[in-house]
Amino acid sequence: MKHAYGGRMVLSIEHLTFAKASIIGLRGPNGSGKSTLLRLLGLIEKPVEGAILFNGQAVEPFSPEARFRISLLPQEPFLMKRRVFGNVAYGIKLRGDVADVTERVHEALSLVGLSHGDFVRRPWYALSGGEAQRVALAARLALRPNVLLLDEPTASVDIPSAELIREAAFKAREKMGTTLVIASHDWQWLYEVCDQVFHLFKGKILGTGRETILFGPWRRVDSGMWGRRLGDQQFIVASRPPSDEAAAIIHVGSIGEDNARVDEDDAVLKGTITRINLERNSGKLFATIVVGDQNFIVGLTQRQTQERTLFPGKEVFIHYCLKTIRWV
Amino acid sequence: MIGGDAETYSAIWATLRVSGYSMGCSLIIGVPLGFCLGYFDFRGKRPLRTVVDTLMALPTVFIGLLVYAFLTRSGPLGNFGLLFTLPGIAIGQTILALPVVIGLTAAAVESMDQKLRIALMSLGANRRQLFLSSLWETRHGILAGAIAAYGRVMTEVGISMMVGGNIKWHTRTITTAIALETNKGQFGMGIALGLVLLAIAFCVNVSVSLLRKRY
Repeated sequence: MKHAYGGRMVLSIEHLTFAKASIIGLRGPNGSGKSTLLRLLGLIEKPVEGAILFNGQAVEPFSPEARFRISLLPQEPFLMKRRVFGNVAYGIKLRGDVADVTERVHEALSLVGLSHGDFVRRPWYALSGGEAQRVALAARLALRPNVLLLDEPTASVDIPSAELIREAAFKAREKMGTTLVIASHDWQWLYEVCDQVFHLFKGKILGTGRETILFGPWRRVDSGMWGRRLGDQQFIVASRPPSDEAAAIIHVGSIGEDNARVDEDDAVLKGTITRINLERNSGKLFATIVVGDQNFIVGLTQRQTQERTLFPGKEVFIHYCLKTIRWV
Repeated sequence: MIGGDAETYSAIWATLRVSGYSMGCSLIIGVPLGFCLGYFDFRGKRPLRTVVDTLMALPTVFIGLLVYAFLTRSGPLGNFGLLFTLPGIAIGQTILALPVVIGLTAAAVESMDQKLRIALMSLGANRRQLFLSSLWETRHGILAGAIAAYGRVMTEVGISMMVGGNIKWHTRTITTAIALETNKGQFGMGIALGLVLLAIAFCVNVSVSLLRKRY
């Protein structure tokens, strides 16, 4: 699937499959193509090349097979100039399910933690940002969609609202078997809740999200290597980049107790563990290690998990293989 | 007014009828055209917008002259016998109101948030529902355009005078009556009729405001 705006290619994905009722995370910096991908998956736009299959059937904007079944919640809440009831009931009425519209609105509002009695008659302008986002989510949940696409669902709301939005999305998955595709900057949260995380960069999928992207400028150092300084003045070495400004994709292999290199392709950096999370899908632990101003993610070995010798605040050495560095 | 002067009431009734006709026609034709002009991107859209914006400033006497030329017995539409009739005035006023309705509807649609399209499509709207719901969402802007057009129609003199002929009991409207009374030196009567016009405008605006509040 490829997509372009004004002739500029913004997304190019060879193949991507989402399993039914799974939770998929999309991470990546601004402009990496997350929102574009969600708009294409949400059948708001049609890709310039390629196709989107839903239950094995090719679908595009306004396809009757996918209308009401795939729904996108954009980052900024947008409500129509109607009361809360009108907003939440809009999709149900379009669908023609008018018989139990009140119950459906009630159920959807309860899912997002809004009291039916207090909110149902409120006009769109009498809602806070967090409430508006929850009403917008309720409007989608009322459709009982098969796929719910959430674009930075908690970026513009306060912490309690964010928690309610997250809970509502997961309840929908539990109750209705909805597949969730979530784009978020909060990648640590994505690892905790998602079955699979994809890392997007410049419209392409780099991998499963464990990679760290390091931007140039790179400069040549002694011994024929290239490198750049990190925030804490440590020097990160890399293989020869295609250009000085290229971005390096680095996948950290392991955490060690000392800075001894294993072989000539091994490189070592000293960092501090800031967080240890549980990966939902594998049940394994992974650590976030900050080196200067960069975060690196490393999966813990079974031994490291059992020994419990690693904890936030501990200084460690991370090892990566120079040969596995990819350039974008 | 209080004395129930039949001539005055005839002028008020003529004004309401003719403005009703012209506003009905201009809204039926103008809102869909304005929506299309604002909603769709096509070649020549910008120049067309400029033309519509320019036509918003059409002088009423010029429209009156053109409509007169068309409706006069020797004109291309002379056979219809519309000169010196209320429908004849309504044609002229429709031409007057149409650019205002088209231009302001297009402006309302252009200022419509692009996120509306995403929201409607995400909730399962098909092409027809997308069009109708977008139209409904811009209702306040369209209403503002309709009020502006109504203001022009209600207060114009040129068309009513030239196409209607200011015939007592038939085509005399409030504005042409004011012009006549002023020429006769009856300033008091002119001012009274002006106040009636203002009262009608007030009633229309209050009704619209109540409608906006409700919907």
